[in-house]
Amino acid sequence: MKALVVDDSQIMRRFIVNVLKKAGLNDICEAANGQEAVDFVTKDASIGLVLMEWNMPVMTGVEALKQIRTTNKKLPIVMITTESEETKVVEALKAGANDYILKPFNPEEVLEKIQKHLGAASK
Amino acid sequence: MDAITIDPIIEAIKEFFESMLGCPVQKGNPGPAFLSAPCSDIIGVIGLSGTAQGIVALRLPEPTALAIIGRMVGSTFNEVDSEIIDGVGELVNITAGIAKGKFKGHSISISLPIVVRGDICRLTNIQDDVWVEVPYDSSLGKFSLIVTLKMTSRKPQEAAHEGISR
Repeated sequence: MKALVVDDSQIMRRFIVNVLKKAGLNDICEAANGQEAVDFVTKDASIGLVLMEWNMPVMTGVEALKQIRTTNKKLPIVMITTESEETKVVEALKAGANDYILKPFNPEEVLEKIQKHLGAASK
Repeated sequence: MDAITIDPIIEAIKEFFESMLGCPVQKGNPGPAFLSAPCSDIIGVIGLSGTAQGIVALRLPEPTALAIIGRMVGSTFNEVDSEIIDGVGELVNITAGIAKGKFKGHSISISLPIVVRGDICRLTNIQDDVWVEVPYDSSLGKFSLIVTLKMTSRKPQEAAHEGISR
């Protein structure tokens, strides 16, 4: 199963990739904006988890989330972002995000949430 | 500048280091920032606008920058390269993003970060705003927060309208 990490910061992508590798996920691809994320998900049916930042150039994470959800309702998508306002959290969850993690985050917290969503997706 | 207003930024630094890097930080006593002191540090700078306006900068000696970014990505860096520069920019970006959410009752936008470095570099303020420097120490090295911040009680659109109607 492949994971997709979406963040416009290369350093943040590497940080999250390291966390995913600790969860045993080694097949990981990366996207630098929401449009790239949509393209990846459209073309690669083996992507089984998406971790997505909100604020990105070209297309935001929540816009990408909405586009992905028009054709894929089941793919686990977790927002990882600094956007902490309650309205933003509600907006993302209403748009179809499975979970919401605020930066800064404890890597252990991310691991727990990833394992929870991977477990749910496999049922 | 009201000292209370930089608390969200101080909290953000503490949360970032302790949560994401697993590294407690020790905050020193804040004092006036010596902007005219030359240094070879790497400085991540980001602007705030809206009902809080100012500049937030993190000044990192090179060894500290290499250690922090190395911890973030699980690698060892021996020299400053584009990843380190990107990382310092992201460090100040995340810090400002976390702090933004803690300024309750304020509407704040964050600029794109920039990173300043050189053999000798100086930050220079061109107005009489108060700049504060807060020194930090950690197992990843010493660094400092440099900040100038003004709080307004009204949203910028209201202030602009009043200016036009006068």
